[in-house]
Amino acid sequence: MAEVKSAEFKKASGRALRDEKLQHALEHVMEHFVGARANIIESDFGDESWESMRTRAAAIKQSTLEHLDYYLDMVDKSVRRNGGHVYFADDAAQANAIVLDIAKRNGVKTVIKSKSMVSEEMGVNHILEREGIEPVETDLGEYIIQLAGETPFHIIAPAMHKTRQEVSSLFQEWLKTAPTQDIKRLCVYARDALREKFAAADMGISGANFVVAETGTVCLVTNEGNGRMTTSAPRIHVVLAGMEKIVPAIEDLALFLRLLPRSATGQRITSYNTFVGGPRAPSDEDGPEEFHLVFVDNGRLNLLRDEVMREALRCIRCGACLNHCPVYQKIGGHAYGWVYSGPIGAVVTPPMTNMKVARDLPYASTLCGTCKDVCPVKIDIPRLLLHLRHKVAEGALGERSTTWMERLFVGQWHGAMRNRRALEGKANLGRLLTRPFARGGKVRKLPFAPMVSGWTASRDFPAPAPKSFARLWREELAQDNVHPNGMEQR
Amino acid sequence: MAPTPEEHPNKAAFLLRVRSALGRTEPIVHMPDHPSLKSNAMRQQEKVRTIVARNEARRSPTLDRLARTAAAASWNVRRAGDAEEAASIVAEIAQQSGVKNLVRSAEDVFKRVNIDTALRSVGVSPAILASGRSRSRGALRDMAFRADMGVTGVSYAIAETASCAVIPRKGVARLASLAPPRLILLIEPEQVLETLDDFFAVTRLNRMQARGRATNYFNFISGPSRTADIEQTLTIGVHGPGEVHMVILG
Repeated sequence: MAEVKSAEFKKASGRALRDEKLQHALEHVMEHFVGARANIIESDFGDESWESMRTRAAAIKQSTLEHLDYYLDMVDKSVRRNGGHVYFADDAAQANAIVLDIAKRNGVKTVIKSKSMVSEEMGVNHILEREGIEPVETDLGEYIIQLAGETPFHIIAPAMHKTRQEVSSLFQEWLKTAPTQDIKRLCVYARDALREKFAAADMGISGANFVVAETGTVCLVTNEGNGRMTTSAPRIHVVLAGMEKIVPAIEDLALFLRLLPRSATGQRITSYNTFVGGPRAPSDEDGPEEFHLVFVDNGRLNLLRDEVMREALRCIRCGACLNHCPVYQKIGGHAYGWVYSGPIGAVVTPPMTNMKVARDLPYASTLCGTCKDVCPVKIDIPRLLLHLRHKVAEGALGERSTTWMERLFVGQWHGAMRNRRALEGKANLGRLLTRPFARGGKVRKLPFAPMVSGWTASRDFPAPAPKSFARLWREELAQDNVHPNGMEQR
Repeated sequence: MAPTPEEHPNKAAFLLRVRSALGRTEPIVHMPDHPSLKSNAMRQQEKVRTIVARNEARRSPTLDRLARTAAAASWNVRRAGDAEEAASIVAEIAQQSGVKNLVRSAEDVFKRVNIDTALRSVGVSPAILASGRSRSRGALRDMAFRADMGVTGVSYAIAETASCAVIPRKGVARLASLAPPRLILLIEPEQVLETLDDFFAVTRLNRMQARGRATNYFNFISGPSRTADIEQTLTIGVHGPGEVHMVILG
């Protein structure tokens, strides 16, 4: 499985914040995505409202998850009826072994890959390389980061942090092409290099955006055409799919194909949708002779088992929550330390990998709620993050996660919030203690113990008002001769 | 027909773990309540009959809608009054693009639209991209990769999204509409449907009626191949055709 580096979260996000080039790229890209999405959902509703589509999609995905064993069985039967093979892998190691076995049995030398996040989880490229099989990413962004030896920066725009100059030098180094600043030319270089690979490859590996249970149809959503090439040119096609990718009926695709591209890139539909459910028919002119569908668990069971977290598996990987997240917008994708980044990454990484290693991720959110508002399947991400924080605080890691100061403060807060007199008393005490440090309505530096002075290290604390609201209220009432229940006395 | 592949040895244990994660001990016997799954062949047929009737009644506005959405999605849209005009439009586009190697599929539409004659009259000789007796997988692929224009028909076109559903089969190679950098698709009026919902309802019925001989593969082509993977700059024509033409009869 791909290494989990989420323990480095704080350090890595600090590095990202100091990286000026990265900050520039993030700003540019986020504006683009956010704007494109807003345009299309405001101006292009069709017959059904956006809100109604989201509600329906959330219900379909949730119901599919609640009956997941039933639908997995249904897909299995459908695909095998179509003449394809279906596999069930508990973890990355099993999934890698299945892929490797298919490749070796067929004497495969070159594998072309269409974008698949599950394959990133598995780290299948390394496994293939170790056995002398060449894996080639064919999505342009994935190809660039493969040459650079990096991991995807964004679910749908994996190389968005690379400038054209960087891409040009990568191509110079690996493809021996001439340097250029022309993006169109860079695309042509990649196209030509990959055409050779398409012609040479014996096996294609793709992901799956949706898997239809009743027909066994895998739906791929792409813009470049590499998904089509992967399912047309080689002799063998292997699909890697997270086990949550299922939708029950082929007619459900109409809804999901409206939601996904609008949420992801702000398109009405992508340039290509490929629907494949088995090998070519003998009378077909071309297409793979073998079709293999590998369902992967790899930690998803931990999400399924938890009734609160279960809804995270509704995710259709559109990336909208990343694009709209104030934290992702500043630190980008690499800091999260594994395959999935942004709000949904913070939700799924700890349960899927290691709660202890990824313990900082649930805190990488302001809980502003925008991720929930833009999610096409209405995942309540802030609630799930709080649920994970709760688990950490309650000792899910087998250790106390709070300091004695924090516990004391929260204990006092708890007492104050339950008793009006205690609240007023503590507020008056706070007013008394902070007043000496207030200058011009602000407290610039608090001298107390580490926790408090840390708060004012990078921002000001508003100075407390001389009189509390409760006191002002009482005085005002006495003056106007108004009874405390609000009724004016005549 | 080839035998059905075997069940994976880990399937039973895998499903058992999923079931127990969901807090159940027994498998579900009855199909979960999902309307689009439960509709049987008869009800589906009724549904499709309504869809077809509606589409026939609204043919002309739907064709206009298709032309509009297609233009917005970067298709070059041409409308032909009859088959003869359609053929000469194809020839005109090929000539303007300076095409040398043109491949086409072998579909029924070419019996009505005689593009071969029209193309020859402008000095382009079209080849049919099909495997035949002498052509191997590699040879067909080379031929597709060498071509500078592909011309095919469609099975359906969807006005809502300007999506052309291309279903590969005998005479229709997958690579014909994918490998060449330029593509022309010929669309006949009765192939046009209003919405994605219409298309998937019809597809479901077709599968039900095919009784196990349904196609395992089809594509939507909804515009030129595009990418924005370098600096979010939209670039047309990566692995698929960058120049796409839609010729609508009617």
